[in-house]
Amino acid sequence: MKQFKKSLTITAILLVLFSCKENSEPIEITPDHFHTAIDKVVDVMIHDIFSPPVASRVFVYPNIAAYEILAQNDSSYYSLENQIKHFGAIPSPDRSKSINYPLAAIIAHIDLSKQLIFSETKIENHRDSLYNIWEATNPIEFKASKDYGLKVASYISGWMNKDNYAQTRTMSKFSVDSEDEGRWQPTPPSYMDGLEPHWNKIRSFVIDSAAQFKPVPPPKFSMNKNSDFYKELVEVYEISKEITKKGDTSEEIAIAQFWDCNPYVSVTRGHLMFAVKKITPGAHWIGITKIAAKNDKADFNRTVFAYTKTSIAIADAFISCWDEKYRSNLVRPETLINTYFDDEWKPILQTPPFPEYTSGHSVVSGAASIVLTSIFGDNFSFADDTEIPFGLPIRNYKSFKHAADEAAISRMYGGIHYRAAVEVGVGQGRKIGELVTDKLTMVKK
Amino acid sequence: MNKKIIIFCFSIFFLACNKEEFLFNNPSSKETGLVFENTIKPSDELNILDYLYYYNGGGVALGDINNDGLLDIFLSANQEKNKLFINKGNLQFEDISLKANISGNSSWNTGAVMGDVNGDGLLDIYVCAVVGVHGFYGNNELYINNGDETFTESAEKYKLDFDSYSSSAAFLDFDLDGDLDIYLLNHAIHTQESYGKASLRYKRNEQTGDKLLRNDGDSFTDVSETAGIFGGINGYGLAISIADFNQDGFPDIYVGNDFHEDDYYYINNGNGTFSDQLKNYFGHTTRFSMGNDVTDINHDGLPDIISLDMLPEDELVLKTSDGDDNIQNQKLRTQKFGYHYQFTRNMLYVNQQNSPFLETALLSGVAATDWSWSSLFADFDQDGEQDLFISNGIPKRPNDLDFIKFISNDQIQKKLNNTKLVDKEALQLMPSGKVRNYVFKGTKNLEFEDKSDRWISNKKGVSGATALGDLDNDGDIDLVVSNINEEVSLYVNQTNDKSNYLRLKFDYPLPNAFGIGTKVYSYHQGELQFKELYTVRGFQSSSEPVIHFGYGSVQQVDSIKVVWPNMTYQTLKNISVNQQITISPEKTKPFNYESLIKKSSKLFEKVSNNLGINFLHKEDNYTDFNRQKLIPYQTSDRGPAVAIGDLNMDGKEDIYFGGSKFNPAKVFLQKDSLYVEEKIQIIANDSINEDVVALIADFNNDNKNDLLVGTGGADFYDKMKPLLDAYFIQTDTGFTKEQFPKYYENASVIEAYDYDNDGDLDVFIGNNVVSGDFGDIPNSYILQNNEGSFSLLENQPFQNIGMITDAIWDDYNSDGFTDLILVGEWMSPKFYKNTMGSFVEESVIDSKLKGLWQQIIPFDIDKDGDVDYLLGNWGKNSKFKATEEHPLRMYYADFDNNGSTETILCNYKNGSYYPLLGLDELASQIVSLRKKFTTYKSMAGKSINEIFEKSILNKATIFEVHTLASGYLENENNRFEFMPFINELQVSPISSFLEYDFDFDGKKEILVSGNYFGVTPYHGRFDSFPGALIVSRDSIVLGNKLGLEFNQKAVKKLNIIKILDKPYVLATINNDKAQVYKLTH
Repeated sequence: MKQFKKSLTITAILLVLFSCKENSEPIEITPDHFHTAIDKVVDVMIHDIFSPPVASRVFVYPNIAAYEILAQNDSSYYSLENQIKHFGAIPSPDRSKSINYPLAAIIAHIDLSKQLIFSETKIENHRDSLYNIWEATNPIEFKASKDYGLKVASYISGWMNKDNYAQTRTMSKFSVDSEDEGRWQPTPPSYMDGLEPHWNKIRSFVIDSAAQFKPVPPPKFSMNKNSDFYKELVEVYEISKEITKKGDTSEEIAIAQFWDCNPYVSVTRGHLMFAVKKITPGAHWIGITKIAAKNDKADFNRTVFAYTKTSIAIADAFISCWDEKYRSNLVRPETLINTYFDDEWKPILQTPPFPEYTSGHSVVSGAASIVLTSIFGDNFSFADDTEIPFGLPIRNYKSFKHAADEAAISRMYGGIHYRAAVEVGVGQGRKIGELVTDKLTMVKK
Repeated sequence: MNKKIIIFCFSIFFLACNKEEFLFNNPSSKETGLVFENTIKPSDELNILDYLYYYNGGGVALGDINNDGLLDIFLSANQEKNKLFINKGNLQFEDISLKANISGNSSWNTGAVMGDVNGDGLLDIYVCAVVGVHGFYGNNELYINNGDETFTESAEKYKLDFDSYSSSAAFLDFDLDGDLDIYLLNHAIHTQESYGKASLRYKRNEQTGDKLLRNDGDSFTDVSETAGIFGGINGYGLAISIADFNQDGFPDIYVGNDFHEDDYYYINNGNGTFSDQLKNYFGHTTRFSMGNDVTDINHDGLPDIISLDMLPEDELVLKTSDGDDNIQNQKLRTQKFGYHYQFTRNMLYVNQQNSPFLETALLSGVAATDWSWSSLFADFDQDGEQDLFISNGIPKRPNDLDFIKFISNDQIQKKLNNTKLVDKEALQLMPSGKVRNYVFKGTKNLEFEDKSDRWISNKKGVSGATALGDLDNDGDIDLVVSNINEEVSLYVNQTNDKSNYLRLKFDYPLPNAFGIGTKVYSYHQGELQFKELYTVRGFQSSSEPVIHFGYGSVQQVDSIKVVWPNMTYQTLKNISVNQQITISPEKTKPFNYESLIKKSSKLFEKVSNNLGINFLHKEDNYTDFNRQKLIPYQTSDRGPAVAIGDLNMDGKEDIYFGGSKFNPAKVFLQKDSLYVEEKIQIIANDSINEDVVALIADFNNDNKNDLLVGTGGADFYDKMKPLLDAYFIQTDTGFTKEQFPKYYENASVIEAYDYDNDGDLDVFIGNNVVSGDFGDIPNSYILQNNEGSFSLLENQPFQNIGMITDAIWDDYNSDGFTDLILVGEWMSPKFYKNTMGSFVEESVIDSKLKGLWQQIIPFDIDKDGDVDYLLGNWGKNSKFKATEEHPLRMYYADFDNNGSTETILCNYKNGSYYPLLGLDELASQIVSLRKKFTTYKSMAGKSINEIFEKSILNKATIFEVHTLASGYLENENNRFEFMPFINELQVSPISSFLEYDFDFDGKKEILVSGNYFGVTPYHGRFDSFPGALIVSRDSIVLGNKLGLEFNQKAVKKLNIIKILDKPYVLATINNDKAQVYKLTH
């Protein structure tokens, strides 16, 4: 009898051990989880219609939160504390708890993303379905990771909310003066107000000020046929005529449309209007980051690192670009072409609602491509499928630089920029990318 | 037995209670035989995305085609065949379409109108079509009446077989040659994405352009080019009304154009040509012009106009629909592209006879009737006042903001990319636009009462073309309304014999047997009713060719003057009511149209050389709304300052004008017979200042006049130097700038008075707003004069008093001491009793009287010997609504805790307060709202209490306005009761009062000016007040009858100037040239 009781007890203990073991599987977090989290935010941003500069802010803060959490547990990555001068250390994790750092990183990312967008329910639904799975898999690890993730998110949130965004919401609108012909005015069809005229007041990350890479001024506005400006204007008009002649299947149109990245193209038919929405320029490069990380088979931490460094460069690129846009306040080609050459001319792309110089896509592409090169290398060829959901094809690039160069010129093909804006712009962006690469030491060499 | 009686009584009671006692009944098509539906079936190949006027509907034409005394009905549809119904009497209709041969061969029809095209005395039918796009084929068709209930299609024969994009057609004899010509109203079909220049209208396009077709007997000739009729590519002509607007005997034309093309106001030059005079007679028009109609609403014998747009009344719809332009785009459209001002709401224009129209839709209560198509005036209840019926609705709302921004993308995007077509399902996602029609009862004082709930059924639908006529021969006016995807509706008027009427038909010589263009002046008991016979009115339809008047309980009409189209007339006397009479020309006499021009003594005559005062005030480019997006109106445009006084001590009065930012002030010195500009350097130096108010007086008692200038502009803020007021003393060698107390405020008024009785002029300076923080109360000051040097009083009694706009020193309580009265915005007039040098506020008004007060002047308006106070307010003609029980509210707080404040204005509606602005505007300032309301629908229909948390609202200051009416405080033993002015003085904010004996009759009158443009397009533009002369409470004459030209001018201040002993009126105008008027008496 005693023997039987003993074996029963042992069996019971064993059973308990086994069953506990079933509940103590670590929660597996793969790079795909992070990719999906970012994809979800992009979806919501498209729905909520975030403008390109504001979108860059929505990317960068959650990424930094995720990165900082990983850096707590991976000595091959350095924290950004003291590298970004106004950023102090995040709360340290309680090492006694079984924190799953990638999990905490994703939780922090989701939480901050939710704060930054408008349609919270969409993010919440995604989050809750994941939470259910994770909690069922390993409730103890989940709780510890969640607690830590949210704690860091809260900290980052406090830091984030001091970046002047709230104050810029109520700052003055850009004032239009249609008598000043060289000055930007709203463009058809919606004649929207100039977006984010105070974006240069947003706290930057690595550049020391919005004007650190202030570019040379654009060619001075003049309708004198011998002036540089006039020649640039004519160039845009001539290019568009050539492209239109070539027809819908021309390579130039394909390039222009591929890099349109206009989050809100309004289509009017009489009283009926609707919006055709897409990702922003920043989101396009975030998408390229995803492709690079996947092709590179980067592990979770490297993936997060890539997104973070790239989104920091993109964020600063917008601050620098918008600083110049609302300094030179240059009029768009469409306004002048309609007034002087052809009142029925329409650019191939819809002119976005902000001044012309420098080209946002050029600056952002320049910056992002340098950072991605520093992570993944030169001549990293890839197939860019980011625009497939928007009915555009895949395009192949030999390198990030190749993609950035094409993005820049695409704005001229699109009829929405003069040459100076894209050539100077991409250079402006590259300088920012180089600064970010130099100044931020994130990976142990 | 008793039981049966009880049941019987119950049934009667039940039936009586359930019987809808509407003014109009709607018998069903089963009951009447009027079976017709404009069925529209959107397909993937053709829907609202392909053809922008897919939902405009068909047409309705009423006329007695078989001369049996019963009104017949012709109906056209978009995709269905035309139908003709004969009236068999007793509201029974028989479909004779097949026999009549009028079914039509075009695939898409629009308007249908009846008129005697071939001049044989029988009504023909002209049906419009859209041809040449979307596979539409056919042409406009003309059915000539054969007289036997059959018709022969003859459009080609008469050269009326146009294959263009037609909406409707109107009949008029524009050259007075006796036959009826035709104005063909066409519309463009492309979506104009960029504004394009207004000059596009000069380039003729045969498909889209309107056409004036002259009747040459056996065919029509297009004379548009020589006649000056536009036919441009950007004309979206949707509605037309013909009337002799300027009463010269020649018919004129009003065309309503949708989208950004202006409406056209063609004045007939009498020589076969027209001139478009829109900008001269209208300060602004409807933006998406749809139906229009003409009648005399105020018994002055002049035709007034209503034009329809699409402003919803319902909060749920209002806050989910795309709204007005922003103010910068408005500037672009008007200044750069050449268009006129247009706003999205109905407009009601009151004819001022050769002066610009007054626009009063908001005041009259007819501005918001949702997506409106047809407007028709008639005296439905026959009480002698014209009433108004408006049909409205659209199957799907394409301007729904959720659809545009959120819903559309997912569905349409995929389909557009794959197939270039749009799914029917995507269209289903648009919310329904079915709404109930509106009917308004006319009253005597330009106001209409909404009787929609009581007079007609509240059934929601999509109603468009509508026509008027007496279908059951009981004398009152019935309606036939064409609907989309529903049977045509009959509105049978139940007035019957409750009120008296008269119906007038004309038997005029061929080829205009129906007497189109005849004018009728009906007089009973001193009251005039005026009508002109034109049958094409409203939208895509024509009404019966009969003139109808209501007379209430009056039994006999004193006289009726009939003025024939050939400028002869005859008078009928003592006509009994309740009958239809046919009048033919008999013993006619020539009619002198000159006699219609009411000769009013023009007290004022503009001086052509302005007496040398060529002052042009130029506003700077600053827009308050760029800085503070939600404020109710600007405060930066209250200048320029103007002061009259002898500046060079030569015994003659000179003029000082302030300048806006960067524009220097200007001085005009009076010379022999003219004023000459003189540069006084020190005064012109401070050109960065915006000089808003000024005073010339001798402050230091040295017998030389000095100058005090109050600055403002609402652009400078905090402690910026340009906010300091300036004080210049005149010495032997000129002017020097003196020390002056330093306070940084936006000045609005300076009034001087020696209140402390020490021999020198002290000054009250009222300040109006705190720059960049609308809602924060500025300080106003008493400055004490000590031998020419000013200092602030120790204890300032006027800190934080209010947003002051005007002040007067006056002894309101007749106690021998001069008191101070202040008026301002968001406050009540304040009376301060002067108690030996200090001020104590006294309550002398019993009612709650907070307003947006602009001006005050003492005047004995009721001629009872005591002084009343005239008060200029914002006027009742705006989107603001204020009553004592339900004041207009402005919530003021830092709603999003980001360090800057916002103001949210709310109107009371159906039990709650709703913000005037929608989600986009509010969220542009308060971004957290985008998180709280992720769709427009989620915020629509919510009151301010549901939009903001209690905690936030509790910390807000709530400003109120109890009345927006200008009027006067009637003095009753030194207590004051507010009496509003007549509605003609409520049309715009009032900016200035000037007291003088303008007509030299020994008694003083008050001249009034107003108008203001510093509001967003949401509010429109207050531009149609022509000024007025107040002789007494019951004697007020509008400025346009006196020779004043104040229309479309924001007149800032009126002054009397005297040169060579003759008085003149100087009108200083914001952003325009000053005007000088001679007093002619």
